[in-house]
Amino acid sequence: MIPLGDTLLYASLAVSVIAIVGLLAREFKDIELLNKLITPTIMLGAGLLTVSYLLLTYYFVYSDFTYDYVWQYSSADLPLIYKISGTWAGQQGTYLLWVLIVYLSAAWLAWTTGHKTALSRRTQIITLVTGIFLIIITLVQSPFKLIIQRPEVVDMIAKGTLPLDFVPAEGNGLNALLVNFWMTVHPPLMFIGYATMTIPFAAAIVYLLTKEDGWEELGRQWARFTWLFLGMGIAVGGVWAYLVLGWGGFWAWDPVETASFIPWLTLTAFLHAAALHRKNKTTFAIAAPILAAVSFILVLYAAIVVRSGLFNSVHAFGDSSTGTLLLVFIGITTLVSIVLGLRRYFEETDIVEEDRGFWNKTNIFYVTLLLFVVLTFISLWGISFPAFIQLTQGLKVGVASDTKNFFNIWSYPFTIILLLALGFCLNYNEKQKEEQKKTLFIVIGLSIITMFLRTENFYVLDHTSPFWVREPAIYKMIGNISVISIFPSMIYAAWSTIQRLTDYLHIKSIRPKIKGIGIAIVHFGIVFILLGAIISSNFTQSMETVNIPLVSKGELVGIGNGYGIKIIDFSTRSLSETANIPKGVARISEIFNNPENYVSTDVKISGKVKNVSIVLSSPGTYTTYILMDDGTENLWVAAQANEPLNYQEGMEFTIGGFLMTNFRSNSTNTTYPLILFSTPEQIIQGTAAAGKYQVQSVQLEVYQGNSKIGSGVAEYLNSESGSGTFPLVDSSITGTDIYVIFQGLGGGTVPLSLKIIPAVNFAWIGIVLFALGIILIMAVRSKPKNE
Amino acid sequence: MRTKKLVSIIVLVLILIFAYFSYNTALSNFTLSDKTSSYLGGIKFHRAAAGLEEGFQIAQQENKPVMMYFWAIWCQYCARFQTDTLGNTQVKKILEEDYVLVAMDLDVDREVAQQYGVSYPPYLVFMDQNGKVLQRVPGAVEADYLLPIVTKIRDDVRRK
Repeated sequence: MIPLGDTLLYASLAVSVIAIVGLLAREFKDIELLNKLITPTIMLGAGLLTVSYLLLTYYFVYSDFTYDYVWQYSSADLPLIYKISGTWAGQQGTYLLWVLIVYLSAAWLAWTTGHKTALSRRTQIITLVTGIFLIIITLVQSPFKLIIQRPEVVDMIAKGTLPLDFVPAEGNGLNALLVNFWMTVHPPLMFIGYATMTIPFAAAIVYLLTKEDGWEELGRQWARFTWLFLGMGIAVGGVWAYLVLGWGGFWAWDPVETASFIPWLTLTAFLHAAALHRKNKTTFAIAAPILAAVSFILVLYAAIVVRSGLFNSVHAFGDSSTGTLLLVFIGITTLVSIVLGLRRYFEETDIVEEDRGFWNKTNIFYVTLLLFVVLTFISLWGISFPAFIQLTQGLKVGVASDTKNFFNIWSYPFTIILLLALGFCLNYNEKQKEEQKKTLFIVIGLSIITMFLRTENFYVLDHTSPFWVREPAIYKMIGNISVISIFPSMIYAAWSTIQRLTDYLHIKSIRPKIKGIGIAIVHFGIVFILLGAIISSNFTQSMETVNIPLVSKGELVGIGNGYGIKIIDFSTRSLSETANIPKGVARISEIFNNPENYVSTDVKISGKVKNVSIVLSSPGTYTTYILMDDGTENLWVAAQANEPLNYQEGMEFTIGGFLMTNFRSNSTNTTYPLILFSTPEQIIQGTAAAGKYQVQSVQLEVYQGNSKIGSGVAEYLNSESGSGTFPLVDSSITGTDIYVIFQGLGGGTVPLSLKIIPAVNFAWIGIVLFALGIILIMAVRSKPKNE
Repeated sequence: MRTKKLVSIIVLVLILIFAYFSYNTALSNFTLSDKTSSYLGGIKFHRAAAGLEEGFQIAQQENKPVMMYFWAIWCQYCARFQTDTLGNTQVKKILEEDYVLVAMDLDVDREVAQQYGVSYPPYLVFMDQNGKVLQRVPGAVEADYLLPIVTKIRDDVRRK
């Protein structure tokens, strides 16, 4: 039988086909019945997919482990929010989300355009074809696959060790690193970004194919929306890495974060090309649509990188069998884009354009586009060729002795040129061109001179790093550039942006004003992000890891360089405790802390058996003494029965009974300060306080000399599915973060590494400015100028 | 139009040169593992499950302990761990002379990792010649922490 979720997917596939047939038919002949069907079928398709997504969410919320995907990424003891976010923890769910958003875009397109123009109809066709393709991919690795179809389970059922209708009692659980707030926002932002790229792409292809006008308008808002979501997705990923993964930085050129950054770069280039294309349709008539198409193709590529094991990354959460399908799709779209682009190129060459020399806005914009292309290529190449070498030669190579060095050295010079172009373009004025050229040349000169400045250690590559000596000559050459050289261009860019902003503030009419402010804010954003990135990565002070014994709690321990750490408190807890502990189960440590609340009442505890001893307390009555451990403390339990109870060490029980103090047992000759009296009926197999996610947290104070410079909690999460460290991050207004990584208690000592990270706040400010600026730009609906 | 074309061609050529150059640099300078060996932190390791088998044979012949190192290319701590800890002159000398070294790539040798209960890099597993696990060192520890461990295990295995 086909699961309900899959049925919904098949149904949406069927209605999409009807819609496409209807749209295609309109190209040739108006068939009224088909015409009337187009919009409703698209709406229906979007509706069906919405229902299927809600259905998946429902399965997660109610922990329905009939479904393999739910079993794989959830467990009953997870807090509700992580059950919901479990829907996008793995590939299957994220693809469903992706296809859902594509269909919602299609529905929007149908709703707003009514398919009145040929452009909208054709754009819709391509959108739907993309949608169908994604539905097929989703079906190949369906999130609604049943657990009994899982290969291991199939084997076990065949052997008869599992029943035919096997449903596991508990899920596999979410990867420990995914159990945190950022996980709930990062994947949806990314995949919404991926999905909303479809319409600009479809419209661009239609334009390349048929020169249909208005394509840019149709895709504009979507492209900005994508830019916002993709950008925020990447940013949130960076925050996650910084706050949760303990990278000590927000950007590490991990293949997956780079893969998502690549389409964002080309999309940025597209937005720049589109800005000029909008004013004059012959400007970037090929570059603009090609950039839109390329952005979409790179989104597909990013999806492969994210979910396939080929690109060895910290994101390798799941293996992919749909990679090939995606590759085929990439192949088709690339081929189509190249062919169409080339065709248009040979048509366009007939247009003779007046040569206005190099120094005009279009040309500088063109240089900007090329810079984006170069930066894109560096990133794309850097993540791809090692995978290529691995596939073809079976060798594993690194791109540099330290991965990030490769991207940093190659991107650095082009970033400076990009800032120079920014400074020149944003303040471009035809009348003052000569003067502006002079300023530009001065800044270029300053940039070059400052490259040779010698500082203690402020270079593109860290000279104190053990990798430095092993770098090849050219890496050393670029690595030797002083990072001070970024500042002239950065100041120039900031200054231009301020000029531009003041110009816009003087404009009377409100729309261009808001839009201009938005543009200025976005460009401030980039300056801030670069400033934060460069300063924080160059001036971070990392102390060596110290092992502080837990017994020296409350003492200030020197860790070198004049810094000291004081452990204030240490505690452990179970993550599920807050949400899902069954009512009435008490932690043993809590009982010992406040015995008065529990004495002589009914108490329930849950944990593992650590020790068992059985005594014959009176003729025919056996008392079984069980030492229970729930991870917080140990407590003795006594249970009487007519026969010895066959309990063994390591068994898990939930035990109810009543608590007594200072119980003296003559048979064991011991006095128990606290003991729980129980009966065999009250002893139930299985623990309720499933300690699947154990969090160790250490409360700290960080000192420089004798003055406290930071405090907070560093945590370490341990689970069956891996571990994660949640560093202490204490930010100050000045922008310097105190950052302490805790790697889990070992042998009674607390291993801690302290980092002092300056200027990270600049990057966060920049990200906020990015979002704010683009939202302002989106808020203004500008009209094409040449109408 | 002509300016644009010229600039585009220059950029294209530069991109191609860059691609060719970085590809070859990686192959000649930064090969981390080939079919039989891994090269991490300037130390040569046997590689993968086959390398481990071979490693035990050598260990039995030469009466040496085996150190298995689990790493991954994306691992932020591994690179520094390799150069600072494994690459520490004293540690490196002992490892290269008195140990049989095997590297496991967590992205490739997942089965071995699972077998030894290793779920994250960097991770060291020390074994005697017969494959008995003597000690585990998880995480990117410092050289002064590792040095006494490698010394003790070497001496223990020799004494037997």
